[in-house]
Amino acid sequence: MPAADSWFDAVKVLLDRSHLWRPEDLANAVDEALDPLGVRATVYLVDPEQRFLRPLPVRGRPTAEPLPVDGSVAGRAFTGVAGVPARSPGGARWWAPMVNGTDRLGVVDFVLPEGVDPDTEPWQRGCELVAGLVGHLVTTTEPRGDHLHRHRRSRPMTVGAELLWQLLPPLTVSAGDLVASAVLEPCYDVGGDGFDYALDGRRPQVLILDAAGRRLHAGLACAVALAAIRSSRRAGGDLAEQARTADQALQEQFADARFATAVLAELDLDSGLLRYVNAGHPPPLLVRGGRLVRHLTGGRRLPLGLDGPADPWGEEHLEPGDRLLLYTDGITEARDADGVEFGADRLVALVERHAADGLPVPETLRRLSHAVLAHQPGEPADDATLVLLEWSPRTARRTVPPTARRTDDA
Amino acid sequence: MTPEILALTVRDLGDTGRVLTATGEIDHDTRAAVRDAVMESVDAGRTRVVLDVAGVEFCDSGALSAFVEAHRRTEAAGGWFRLAGASGRVQLVLRLANLDRILQLRPTVAEATADL
Repeated sequence: MPAADSWFDAVKVLLDRSHLWRPEDLANAVDEALDPLGVRATVYLVDPEQRFLRPLPVRGRPTAEPLPVDGSVAGRAFTGVAGVPARSPGGARWWAPMVNGTDRLGVVDFVLPEGVDPDTEPWQRGCELVAGLVGHLVTTTEPRGDHLHRHRRSRPMTVGAELLWQLLPPLTVSAGDLVASAVLEPCYDVGGDGFDYALDGRRPQVLILDAAGRRLHAGLACAVALAAIRSSRRAGGDLAEQARTADQALQEQFADARFATAVLAELDLDSGLLRYVNAGHPPPLLVRGGRLVRHLTGGRRLPLGLDGPADPWGEEHLEPGDRLLLYTDGITEARDADGVEFGADRLVALVERHAADGLPVPETLRRLSHAVLAHQPGEPADDATLVLLEWSPRTARRTVPPTARRTDDA
Repeated sequence: MTPEILALTVRDLGDTGRVLTATGEIDHDTRAAVRDAVMESVDAGRTRVVLDVAGVEFCDSGALSAFVEAHRRTEAAGGWFRLAGASGRVQLVLRLANLDRILQLRPTVAEATADL
């Protein structure tokens, strides 16, 4: 049984080394820090398409093969945000989910010393403590260079996709009793879709954007609109002001009629009142108790970038446990070989089915986006984005690794 | 990517009018043709432009930006831009984006050109 001190030492060594390491040092440092415990560790990062977990090479050791998210033990740890014990010739193992906050980054494969039963609290706690730290360190190390980006990808990204991913927040954020999670495809070639959230205080906000056009042409408009909205929001602007700031910025920057459809929404967690502005975007869906109860059709105005008559914001009373689903037309209008659209009904049915299975919100979205991709033959015709906001403390906790959940209980 | 085809025919009306008849699909790949045709019309002094979309079976946000740009260009030149015959998918996309609030929509070319 390892002493608590040994894990503390490993954490200390990792943190101390992290200040000056190069991106390629991370995987070795994790492995070396655990050496005194007799543990070997391999860090796997999930690729942007969330189909494979890709190992970071460790010096002096053959690099492991990428592991499929669907159908592997590693994938079970990733999808369920829960550690999974396993046995292998090299020793007992613990596959720990690796998150940054609640954003799923990958998994860490811990090979434990001979004779150890991995399914015991101190080993789990220790492994998940290190995996949690590594999640944060991956996040802070990634911008230092290209190594981590390169090892995550299965192919290069287009210029538009590089621009966009740098602008977007993590795919999943949870705070208190709220989860916001998003998914965006085609991830190597996205252009004009975007999303954002601000889970501060008692009035969290969420945003979905779809700039007209494709690739970089649309990406530039998306970037301007997103930055304008953040600028206004952070200065205290309400939803209508945020939209007007985006109008102005788009008009100043682009002589052609570049616009973006969007939904901006704000939920008052004390009263349950949802306010929203819909700038020419598909109406958000309100799902309650496993059923689609409403298309939120209020608050309409022209797309961002175009002046014109605007309704006052729309209002809707939400209840704890409600789900708000925002999507771009690339989701519902994805057409199969016979021209049949994916559609909002199918979308809601899948959300409910996965939620009923107890899947964490980001896993529900991963499966949904893969269902949309599988629905259409060949390359997707349009960007497809899905943002799910769920007001439920239980669901929020489901996005956190189990041992951290326990600490929170105490 | 499947090739989408857009055909545009041009008919002049009066001194300042022009009717563009579109057939096929207006999307990100073909919208430039619409934009160029409108610009050409404005440059030729024909600043009242009708785009007949009765024969357009598909459009997306690329079409919408072409329409809005046409609206802006013609208005800036002292004219106007009208869409005639939008139905089905085209009408749905226009309405979803709330663009029926700024674009002039007419059921038929005859109604769109009544004052030309």
